[in-house]
Amino acid sequence: MSVLRPFRATDLFKFNNINLDIWTETYGISFYLSYLARWPDLCCAQEAPSGRMMGYIIGKAEGQNLEWHGHITALTVAPEYRRLSLARKMVDLLEYVSDKGYKGYFVDLYVRCTNAVAISMYERMGYSVYRRVREYYGSLGMGRAGKDEEDAFDMRKPLSRDTGRRSVRANGREFIVSAHDVS
Amino acid sequence: MSATLDRQLRPIYDAIDTGSNKSAIVACNKLLKKQPKNDLIKALKALALVRSQKVEESLYLCDEVLASKPSDEATLSALSHVLRGLGRHLDIIAMYDTAWKQQPSNEDLGAQTFSANARTGNWKAAQQVATKLHKLFKDERYLYWSVFCAILQANDATTQPTLRPVLFKLAHRLLSSAQTPSFYSSDRFYVHLTILKELELWDDATALLSSEIGQTICSTNLTIDELRREIWKAKGSMKEEGERAQQRVKEKDDRNWLEFLSVLDATFWDVSSAPETAEEAKDACLHQITKAVEFFAQIADNDGARDRSGPLALLELEKRAVSHGLSKDPDAIYTLAESYFERFGDKACCFEDLVPYVQFSGDHLSNWIAYLEKHTSTATPEDLRRTINALKLLRYNLTQEQLTPELEAARATQYIRLYLDGMVHGQSLPDTELQPVDDLVVLGAHAFVTLWKTTGDVSFLYRAVVILEFASGKSKQSYVIRLLLIQIYHLLGAPSLALEHYRQLSVKQVQTDTLSYLILSRASTFALSSLGDLTYSTECMEASQIYLSNSTDTAEFVVRAFFAEKYSQIPDFVYLEDRLDNSLQRDLMKMEHVRMRLAHEAINSDLVDMELIELKFIFDRVHHDNRDFEVIPNYQPRDMPSFREQTTPFGKVPGSGWLSSFLKIYIKAFQQASDLDDSVEDKLLIGDRPKPHVESAGTMLLDDRLAQRPRKDFEELTPEETALLEFSTAVAEWLGPHHDYIRPPPAAVLAEAARQTELKIGHQPKGMTLPEGSSNGDARKDIDPPVVQDPPEIVLTFFDDMKARFTAALDGSVLSPELLHIITLTQEAFLIFAVETNRFKPAAVVKTHKLGPLVQSFKEIRAKASTTLTEMSTELEKLAKADSQINRQAEFVDHWKHIEGSEFNSEFISGVAKKVTESRHQVFEGIAKGAAKVSKTHAS
Repeated sequence: MSVLRPFRATDLFKFNNINLDIWTETYGISFYLSYLARWPDLCCAQEAPSGRMMGYIIGKAEGQNLEWHGHITALTVAPEYRRLSLARKMVDLLEYVSDKGYKGYFVDLYVRCTNAVAISMYERMGYSVYRRVREYYGSLGMGRAGKDEEDAFDMRKPLSRDTGRRSVRANGREFIVSAHDVS
Repeated sequence: MSATLDRQLRPIYDAIDTGSNKSAIVACNKLLKKQPKNDLIKALKALALVRSQKVEESLYLCDEVLASKPSDEATLSALSHVLRGLGRHLDIIAMYDTAWKQQPSNEDLGAQTFSANARTGNWKAAQQVATKLHKLFKDERYLYWSVFCAILQANDATTQPTLRPVLFKLAHRLLSSAQTPSFYSSDRFYVHLTILKELELWDDATALLSSEIGQTICSTNLTIDELRREIWKAKGSMKEEGERAQQRVKEKDDRNWLEFLSVLDATFWDVSSAPETAEEAKDACLHQITKAVEFFAQIADNDGARDRSGPLALLELEKRAVSHGLSKDPDAIYTLAESYFERFGDKACCFEDLVPYVQFSGDHLSNWIAYLEKHTSTATPEDLRRTINALKLLRYNLTQEQLTPELEAARATQYIRLYLDGMVHGQSLPDTELQPVDDLVVLGAHAFVTLWKTTGDVSFLYRAVVILEFASGKSKQSYVIRLLLIQIYHLLGAPSLALEHYRQLSVKQVQTDTLSYLILSRASTFALSSLGDLTYSTECMEASQIYLSNSTDTAEFVVRAFFAEKYSQIPDFVYLEDRLDNSLQRDLMKMEHVRMRLAHEAINSDLVDMELIELKFIFDRVHHDNRDFEVIPNYQPRDMPSFREQTTPFGKVPGSGWLSSFLKIYIKAFQQASDLDDSVEDKLLIGDRPKPHVESAGTMLLDDRLAQRPRKDFEELTPEETALLEFSTAVAEWLGPHHDYIRPPPAAVLAEAARQTELKIGHQPKGMTLPEGSSNGDARKDIDPPVVQDPPEIVLTFFDDMKARFTAALDGSVLSPELLHIITLTQEAFLIFAVETNRFKPAAVVKTHKLGPLVQSFKEIRAKASTTLTEMSTELEKLAKADSQINRQAEFVDHWKHIEGSEFNSEFISGVAKKVTESRHQVFEGIAKGAAKVSKTHAS
């Protein structure tokens, strides 16, 4: 039970309980405003009845022609509100808007190859690995898990317009591209 | 532009982009030798100059280019960056305006003129520019710009309220001239609906929203749907909305709590809409309640443990029924709460969900307690979460009688035992995960803090620190534990440890605005700036970066949102900018920074003049308090002060009243010490003045406002701070007439400033003279000099009073920050006195104005201040030494004999004790030495 509402610029004053968690990065104001100034309908937040923020999603629409799609840039839920399917509800909304509003072919997201928990969550939501992007997280350096830590999976889920299911690839994990090839 | 010039300019642009301003200036100079009249090169040089802080030179060059009325894009763009750097936003507007008038058919120049206005929040002018753009270029986008600027002007704080409806009508009229319907884009639709809502044109709004396309937009755009809800509410269509919401919940499986709230609002509409409720309405409502109960119960059954909406809606329904006197079953809310706990007790948020509904008393309370007390298992992770929720709920309902030291101590032990028992569930987790037991330690710290509050025994705070440090080591990512530690370390006078934990939170960007209060509130109490240690000053500077990036970036996105036609975002962007620009925390930090600066730097006219101008700006601001206090958890019983309130140093949070009081102290002192009066300041000031606010005191003179002492401001001051305010007020009143008499006339001050600038840049700056006749020259020298008065009583007694407070506090009855507070404020009074008397230092001044007796009384006061401060310093240093020799390790360890675990052993505990002792020693000794140094520096 939570309020699903638009993410707004002034939420930057309220999101500490979410962003103080290690897994959530706090960016400069420009980051949030650049999304809100173009794709406000792909950014939404969940709020408890008490008014506390529970989580948020930030997305965009991009790509040319058959690659026109919705993209999940950031998705986060505060620790105390996990296991309540909040992430799924926000992703559902982003997919719905990408489908009905933007008429995109698919929705995609990037996830660290080592983040097994997130990967399986996205798989349950209908996403599958489309390709592996080399050194996507390169700037962060080599972590404990070596290459896997630097590489990202590009995971995709087809929308109604992708009738040929071109955004699903059976052997996506083996399909490797370099970070330069993706935007 | 010629290809050659283009090639020559490229390296200059690159140098500026990469911050190599020096080489950019050199390159510009080289090119200017060949083309001395080229505006673009001059503008680029001005930009490099302003970015290397060479303001005067940049200013001169910039004005030169502006005077030539440039109209080529490259020069305009370079100049607009220069002007932005100089804070001269109004000149940017004027510049583009002039350029566009020269080439009215240049659409881009028009759009730039619009942007310049939008960036500054100049909505009225922006609206006119947009209207002109629409007339000239027929693009519908410009029409919407003009419409939305009218709305923004209506909502602006500087607009008179009576003008609002006029502006909305104007917006409506403009919009009706549009060729394409507004539903063409969702954000145009938003603009249209906003106007209809404001003008209460409900039929039009309903028609738009009920259309097929209107419904589609609402389903894919939460912002519009939110606006739709507001419109439905405003026009009183609650029942209709309730039915729509029921349908969405039932047919589309929508579990947005907003839909449930709509059903609830509709259910009680019969009784809540009428001022006096007739029996008939009550009956109708009872019928609605029965139906709603059925509906929610069915949802609850279907969803099971998957979703909390149904059961919570039942609780909310019952709560509202009780408040309207329409509840049939007195036990209903209890039964619902218990079954809610049964179903969702293992969700971390269960406590937060239930809190609004469990304020039980009598039988319900005793049953509730008995029920919850059964949950003590930590066998599985689910059990553990359930137990934590039960403990939080039990704690929430504790009464004053149940908070005896014995019972609370038993509770603390219980929390910690369960914590140690439950630790097994987190053992295999990677260290990037939170430990499931963390909240038990948080509860333990709550109990210890209450124990300290009720008994006054500081050792309970030590115990809190020990368990929190232990838990923090186990759960390295728990920010909650660190927040509690930061609070308690400040109480214990161990600020360096608080700072360490704060840094581990990696607070950054906008978070510095909402969270830096954790370490910077009254930071001058702990800062060792008097010894040249700039740790806290640096923290202030770093935390203030966000305000700079706000002022450069946010307005840019307002413009971008106009170009992308995302009107719905613009009010929020504008509000965000305003909240950061006028953030209370920003200026609280600024005030702390000034206080620290004074202890560290030489008191001269540079410091005084610069701070005076800045503080006066701040004094005119209408502040927003963005500090996030909610982030500190609270599990204290419902009728007790929160954890944060309990652990606020000195029991007082500095807010706008505190800020206003300190601004008055410093503005007054700097005003007296400075040679700048308003007319001089106007001439010397570069950049725009802030827009006047409708609400701000407006017509009152600054001096009168500085003299005001509203009672509510004092509520935020400690007794020592109040004493400082009274001290500085008395000093200012006493010395004011002498300052005013001796201060050189404005014309002389300006001439001196002009001479200085000329020395710097090699030519006479413009506009540095006063209009004829405004300078009163030496006229006042004809008046008799003020009579020298004896120092006011309070100025002399202040230091005795502070000494007495200090001596009383030495007996150990207060927390150590209070000692530091007394000594740092005594030091501050001494420094303010130094600011106030600096003018009378030169022997020539004393001789000319026959101030011998006055200066003689300064000597007495200085001697008293210096002795007092030295004595305090000696005592504090003694205390620091003694404190570090107490074997606190043994004391620390002793408390935990009954609970030691394998890792939670005496070695760990004495390690914590050692760190606390060291941190305290460091700050005690530092403050003591600093005070001794200040007293020596300003003794004569």
